[in-house]
Amino acid sequence: MDLGHYAPLGAEALLTAVSLLVVLVGLFTKGRSSLPGYLSLAALIVAMWMVLTAQTGTVFFYDSLRVDGFSQFFKAVFILVSLLVVIASLTRYNGRPGGDEYFALLLMATVGMMVVASAIDLVSLFIGFELASLSTYAMAGFDRTKKNLEAAMKYFLYGAASSAFMLFGFSMLYGMTGSTRIADIAGASLAAFNPAILIALIFVVVGFAFKMALVPFHMWAPDTYEGAPALVSALLAAGSKKMGFAAAFRVILIALLALKLEWYMAFAILAAVTMTIGNLVACWQNNVRRILAYSSIAQAGYISIAFVVLGVASEGMTGPNNLPLDQYALAGGLLLVLGHAIMKTGAFISTAQVASIAKNTEDPDDISNYAGLGRRAPITAFCMTIFMFALAGIPPTAGYFGKFVVFGSAIYGGLVWLAVLAILNSALSLYYYLRIISYMYLREPAGPKISESKGYVLSLLLALIATFWIGVLPDGFFNWAMQAAAALLP
Amino acid sequence: MISNAISIMIAVPLIGAVLAFLTRSRGQARLVALIASLVPLALALQMYTEFDKSSKLMQFVESYNWVPSIGVRYTVGVDCISFPLVLLTAIVSVLVVIYAWGENHRPNQFFALLLLNEVGVLGVFTALDFFLFYIFWEIVLIPMFFLIGIWGGPRKDYSAIKFFIYTHVASLVMLLAIFAMYFTYRLPDGSRTFDMLTLLQATADKSIFPPGLINAIFAGLLFGFLVKMPAFPFHTWLPDAHVEAPTAGSVVLAALLLKMGGYGIFRVILPMLPHVDKAFVTVIAVIGVLSIIYGAFLALAQKDIKKLVAYSSISHMGFVTLGAVAFTWLSIQGAMFQQFSHGIITCALFMSAGTIQHSVGTRIISELGGLADRMPKFASLMLAAFLASLGLPGMSGFVAEFMVLTGSYPTFPVYTLLVVFTSVGVTAGYHLWACQKVLFGPILKKYLDIHDPHAYEILAMSAIVFLTLLFGLQPALITDMMGTAAHQVMEPVVTLSQMGVI
Repeated sequence: MDLGHYAPLGAEALLTAVSLLVVLVGLFTKGRSSLPGYLSLAALIVAMWMVLTAQTGTVFFYDSLRVDGFSQFFKAVFILVSLLVVIASLTRYNGRPGGDEYFALLLMATVGMMVVASAIDLVSLFIGFELASLSTYAMAGFDRTKKNLEAAMKYFLYGAASSAFMLFGFSMLYGMTGSTRIADIAGASLAAFNPAILIALIFVVVGFAFKMALVPFHMWAPDTYEGAPALVSALLAAGSKKMGFAAAFRVILIALLALKLEWYMAFAILAAVTMTIGNLVACWQNNVRRILAYSSIAQAGYISIAFVVLGVASEGMTGPNNLPLDQYALAGGLLLVLGHAIMKTGAFISTAQVASIAKNTEDPDDISNYAGLGRRAPITAFCMTIFMFALAGIPPTAGYFGKFVVFGSAIYGGLVWLAVLAILNSALSLYYYLRIISYMYLREPAGPKISESKGYVLSLLLALIATFWIGVLPDGFFNWAMQAAAALLP
Repeated sequence: MISNAISIMIAVPLIGAVLAFLTRSRGQARLVALIASLVPLALALQMYTEFDKSSKLMQFVESYNWVPSIGVRYTVGVDCISFPLVLLTAIVSVLVVIYAWGENHRPNQFFALLLLNEVGVLGVFTALDFFLFYIFWEIVLIPMFFLIGIWGGPRKDYSAIKFFIYTHVASLVMLLAIFAMYFTYRLPDGSRTFDMLTLLQATADKSIFPPGLINAIFAGLLFGFLVKMPAFPFHTWLPDAHVEAPTAGSVVLAALLLKMGGYGIFRVILPMLPHVDKAFVTVIAVIGVLSIIYGAFLALAQKDIKKLVAYSSISHMGFVTLGAVAFTWLSIQGAMFQQFSHGIITCALFMSAGTIQHSVGTRIISELGGLADRMPKFASLMLAAFLASLGLPGMSGFVAEFMVLTGSYPTFPVYTLLVVFTSVGVTAGYHLWACQKVLFGPILKKYLDIHDPHAYEILAMSAIVFLTLLFGLQPALITDMMGTAAHQVMEPVVTLSQMGVI
C-alpha cells in the first residue's frame, strides 16, 4: 500500500488519531490534564495547513471520497470554526473533569464534517453526517444543565428524523439508479422514473432543509442554539449547519441536476420564506442566542439563493468578467458560508463571555445582560458590534461581500424579486442587530467592569481580523471560492 | 504636489480615529482629533492652490486594482463637482472638533467617531468606483448611529435606529440600481466594471440601456439620494435624528451627510437626466419646490429651536434639488454653491442651538428671551448666522439662492415664482422671529446668571461667520470651480481613460 497516495486525506487521519489520543490522555490523567486542549489546538492548526496545501483532484476508497477545491474549501471552513471554538474553550473546559471528552468529541465532529465535504458517494456522505451529528448531540448536553439536556434532546430527535428523511430519499435514488455514487446518479436518466423521483426529491430536499434549518423545518435550531452550551452553539450554527450546505450542494446540484426545473422553484420559495420568517421572528426575541439562531436561519435563506440562481442559470449565461453565472452564484454562496461561519462563531463566543458574567442568572442570555457591555467588557462588545454589522451586511466586512456576490448573481439571473426581497430582509435584520448594539453601547452598564477571559478574547480577535480581511481584500477569497465552485460544477 | 494626496487625506483621519479611540484622557483624544482633522484641511488647501479651476477633467486621480475578478478598482479623484465639497468637509471637520473641545462624556470614542465620519464623507466625495462609493456611503452611517445613540437626547435609541434603518434602506435601493448598471454594461473586452464615469457614460447609449431599464435605474439612484438629502416626502428621519443628536453630530449630519445626497444628484443623476423619461424632471422639480415650501412652513411651526433649524435644512436643500433639475448653467452653479454655503451656515445654526441648550438648559423658544443681554458675543454670532441663513445679501446664502432662483426661472417660471412668493417671506419670518424671541427683549429673571460660552465655541462660530461673509462677498473663490462643474454636468460624461489619466 502506498501511503503517499493518501496524503491528501492526512488532515482527517491526523484529527481522528488525535481525538483518540485525547481520550487516552484523559483516561490516564483522570481528565485533569490540560494536554487535551492544547493537543487539539495543535492538531487543528496542522490540519488546516494540510487542507490548504493538499493536492486536489484525487479520488479515494473506490470512488467514495474526493479531494477537490470544493471539499477543501468546506474543510477549511470547518477547521477554522473548530479552531476558534477550541481556542475559546481552553479556559472553559480544558483541565476540567470531562474536558478530554469535550475536545475528543469536537475533533470527531470536525472529522465527520470533513468527510461530508469530500463525500461523492451517498453512503459515505451519510456516515460523515452521522459521525458529526452523534458527536454534536453529546456536546449539546455537555454541561448537563436542564436547559442543555432539553436542547440536546430536541436536537437529537429532529436530527434523527431528518436523517431518516434523507436516508429514505437516498434509498429511493439507489433503487432507481442502482448506484449510490453521485456521478452515477447524475448520469442516470432520472426523469424516466416519474413520479417516484419526485417523492425521492421531496425526501432529500426535506432532509437537507432540516439540516440547513430552512423554514418550515427550522424549529429545532433556536431551541438548540439557546439551550446548548454557548461554545457548542457556535460549533453547531457555524460548523455543523454548513455541513448541510456542503452535502446539499453536492447532492442537489450535481446528482439531481437533471431535475433542476423541479427543485429550483422549491428552493426559491424556501429561500424567500426562510429569510423573511427568520428575520421577522428575530425582531421579537429577547434572548440574544435566540436572536442569533433566527439570524442564522435568515442567513441560510440568503445562502439558498445560490441554489435558485444555479437552477435558472443556463448555458452561456455569464456573470462578471465572462465568468459563468452558475459558478459565480455558487462562489457567492460559498463566500456567504465562509463569512457566516466566522461571524457566527464570533457572535456565539461573545454570548459565552457575557453569559459567564451575567447578573440575570435566570436567563444568562437575556438581552438585558448586554446593557452597557461596551464599558464592562470593551473588547467583547467591540467584536460583537463588528459581527452584528457584518451579519447585517454593512461594508467593508465579510458579510457584505458575500451578500454582494449572491444578490448580484440573483439580479443577473433575472430573479429581481428574490434579490429585492433579500435586500429588504437585509434592512429588516438591521433592526435586531442594532438593538443588540444599542444595548451594549447606549445603555447604562448592568454591572461592574469585568476581566475578559483570554481564550475568548483571542478567538474573538481572530474572527474579527478574518471578518475584515475578507471584506477589505476579497479578491483572493473570491478566486478561492470560484475555484471551489469550478471543482464542483460539471 | 503631494502624490496620493486624496488617499492620505482619507487615511489620516482613519488612523486618527483608531488612535483617538485608544487614548486614555480627553486632552489626548481631542489633540489627536484636531491634528488628524487639520491634516486633511492642509492637504485640501494645498490642493486648492494647485487645482485647475477651468478643467473639466478629474484631477489628483489615483487608481489601483482592488478586486480584479469582479472589476472593482480603488479609484479616487476630484473634479470641479467634488472638490468644493472636499474642501467643505475638511473645514467643517476641524471646526466641529474645535466646537466639541469640551466634550466630557466618553471623549475618546466621541472624537474617534467624528474622525471616522470624516473618513466616510471624504471617501464618498472622492470615490470614482461605485463599489468604493457604496462602501464609504455606508460607513458614514456607523459613526452617526453611535453619535446619536450615545450622546443623544432622551429618545436617542429610537432616533438612532430610525436614522440607520431609514437611510440604509435607501442605500440598498441605490445598490440595486448600481447592480443593474453593472450587469448591463460590458467593457469592450467583455469584462465588467464598477467605474462610475464609464457606467454613467454608457447610460447615454440607448442600445445598451433601453428606456425601461434606464428609467428604473434612474429611479433607484434618485431615491437613494433624495432620502439622504432629505427631500419631501422622505425627510421624516431627519428631524428625529437632529433633535436627538448631540450638537457636533447635528453639525456633521446637516453640513456633510446631507451634502452626500446633493453630490449624488450632481455626480450621477444629472448626467443621466437627458436620457430618461422627461416626467422625472417635473417630479424632481416638484419635490424640490415642496421641500422648500413645506420645510419653511414646518420650521415656522416649531417650538424647539433645534427642530426649527432642522426643518430649515430641508427647505434649504430643496434649493439644491430645484437648481439642479432646472438644468441651466446658472441654476446648477447656484445649486452647487447652495450645497457649499448651506454646509457652512448650518454649522453655525446648530452650534447656536447647542450652545443655548447647554448654557440655558432649554431649547424651547417660548421659554427663552433676552439672551443678548448676558451673552453678547454669542448673540451677535447667532444673529449673523441666522441672517446668513435667511439670505441676507452680502452673505453666502443670498448668493446661492439668488443664483438658483434666477437660473431656474427660464425652466420653471411658475415653480420659481411660487417659491419666491411663499417661501422667501416665511423663511425670513421664522429666522427673525426665532432670533427676536431668543436673543432680544428683556432678559428673563431666571437667566440672569448665564454668560457667554467657552472661547472655543465662540472661535468655531466666528470662523463660520467669517467664511459666510468671505464667500458672500467674494463667491468667485469657489464659484469659478462650480461654473466649470456646471458646464461639465451638462455635457456628456468623459471617462478617466478618455481623459488620459489612467
